[in-house]
Amino acid sequence: MRHIPWTAAVLLLFSGLCYPQDTSSTDPETIRQLVQQVKDLQERVKLLESQQNGARQNHTDASTLNPASLTPSNPPTPPVEVADQTAPTPGILQEIHETRGIQWRGFGEVDYKVLNQRAPELGTYGFVPGSQGNFYSGDFGLFLTSRLTNKASVLSEIVFEEGDAQTYKVDLRRMLLNYDYNDHLKMSFGRYQTNIGYYNWAFRSAAWLQTTADRPLVMEFATNGGLLPTQANGVSVTGEIPSGKLGLNYVAEYGSSDTMRPDLNGDGVVTDENNGNQTNIGLFARPDWLQGLQIGSSYYHDQISNNPLSAATGAPVPPPPGGPGPAARYDQTIVNAYAVYVAHGVEFLNEGFLIRHALIGGSLHFDTPAFYSQISKQFGHIRPFFRYQYVNASSNNSLYDDVGLRYGPSFGARYDFDDYIAFKAQLDHTVRRDEPDLNGLHLQLSFTF
Amino acid sequence: MRTKNLLAPLLICLASLVCVRVAAAQAGDVAVVVNDHNPVTKLSRAELRKIFAGQERSWSAGLPIRVFVRAPGTHERLALLKLLGMTEGEYKKYWTLQVFRGEAQAEPSTLPSNGMQREAVVTYPGAVALVNLQDVKTGMKVLKVEGRMPGEAGYSLN
Repeated sequence: MRHIPWTAAVLLLFSGLCYPQDTSSTDPETIRQLVQQVKDLQERVKLLESQQNGARQNHTDASTLNPASLTPSNPPTPPVEVADQTAPTPGILQEIHETRGIQWRGFGEVDYKVLNQRAPELGTYGFVPGSQGNFYSGDFGLFLTSRLTNKASVLSEIVFEEGDAQTYKVDLRRMLLNYDYNDHLKMSFGRYQTNIGYYNWAFRSAAWLQTTADRPLVMEFATNGGLLPTQANGVSVTGEIPSGKLGLNYVAEYGSSDTMRPDLNGDGVVTDENNGNQTNIGLFARPDWLQGLQIGSSYYHDQISNNPLSAATGAPVPPPPGGPGPAARYDQTIVNAYAVYVAHGVEFLNEGFLIRHALIGGSLHFDTPAFYSQISKQFGHIRPFFRYQYVNASSNNSLYDDVGLRYGPSFGARYDFDDYIAFKAQLDHTVRRDEPDLNGLHLQLSFTF
Repeated sequence: MRTKNLLAPLLICLASLVCVRVAAAQAGDVAVVVNDHNPVTKLSRAELRKIFAGQERSWSAGLPIRVFVRAPGTHERLALLKLLGMTEGEYKKYWTLQVFRGEAQAEPSTLPSNGMQREAVVTYPGAVALVNLQDVKTGMKVLKVEGRMPGEAGYSLN
């Protein structure tokens, strides 16, 4: 019995010494780390065995570090493994699996939406306008990439989008041949999403990637009533500008689009804009001094028409009396500026737009300002968010007469069950000019695979 | 009898010392390693962050950067997440976004051991990886970060 106090004292010492190894780890984490260490050791044994079995036996005592680190002024070097330079084993190549095939990624969503107004607005993604509320499946996207060479790759995004009466249409959202010459020159050829602003670039089109259940109105796809030309065929070039700690990047795009934008007010009219060739140039900075900050601006130009068509038949719809008529062409310029901060679980997005339509050969012009601001913070699995958006289109602007003035907040939360499935609940309140306010509840289950 | 009684506590003491040594090593500096033939010798912390975030994709000589990372739960992985200011979940989502945006061709290859990291660094001229200092091996060249080598006072990657 005399040895018990001794043992107890030593055990106390032992526990005291060992505890600081990882004060934050829980038991499962410790177990996982230990398992990892065992795996590491097994790998090292395998490596040593393969080296032993190799033809070369000329073990050297050469240092493993950069020779610069061996100068006397440098701190003590780590233990040196006696090893030779063996050729890569098949194991490493299998582990890295050099990809020359097609990589797939899928994105899907299931939604339920309720609005407090029976007056029908535009129904998108399968939502039935005027209903009390209904389920729909939104976008189902298949994203494909394939590496052709070290510098060339192909990227494609095919979306099956639910339309009216549970019909589905296929949309090739993106199809790009990418060639990265270096960090200063990265080129893409094909069908791209325009880099107007941050949101379009950052989230592309998958609901799972977005914090909120839907996109801000100004960033909505044009085919769903959004205000911006979101897609085009052509060439997009981007890259870094040597700028030190400022982290400047540029983007330049030249392409053709053919925007068909349905009216938001559900009047069954689609505007065929008969676009010309669009030019978009932008700059953005990711300064070194604040990780997660991105500030940017872009300028877009195109020439468009206002050619209203019936969504059901495609027949021309008479334009409003006194207007310039469908033959008239407008200069469309879109100026954007944004400041976003995404780091340490915080997402703070702020974007402003000024969309100008100026009649070519006349003095008539309309300015449509729009902005949105969105903030969210991750707390474990849950991410509460708040968004405020604003669009103000003149009632006399026949291109956006369906839009008018719309503003209001959205708030809710996203819950991530795991790395693949998220549930979002969002409440919206939208104030509209000359229309009753619109309140909505949007529930969404989004996933990736 | 007394000697026998002392043997067990002594063994426990020795085991505890080993534990402390392992813990100290685990919590040690993490080296940034590249292929021996890569002419780069130093990086700033911001450059390192850009490389591991996929925002820098080629070395100054035009050689494509090939990033290798360790599996979740390892010391190197924790150092990586600390460098990027992300949680494990945010890291995974970030790379899904990067690939989806077209900003990266693929997520960095995750390797289960430092032995495999060594093989990868030796095999690929543009490779870069984070490795526990005591696991640095032949064929790996250690880079200075903010002018400091791992083990030096003020080294920021651990």
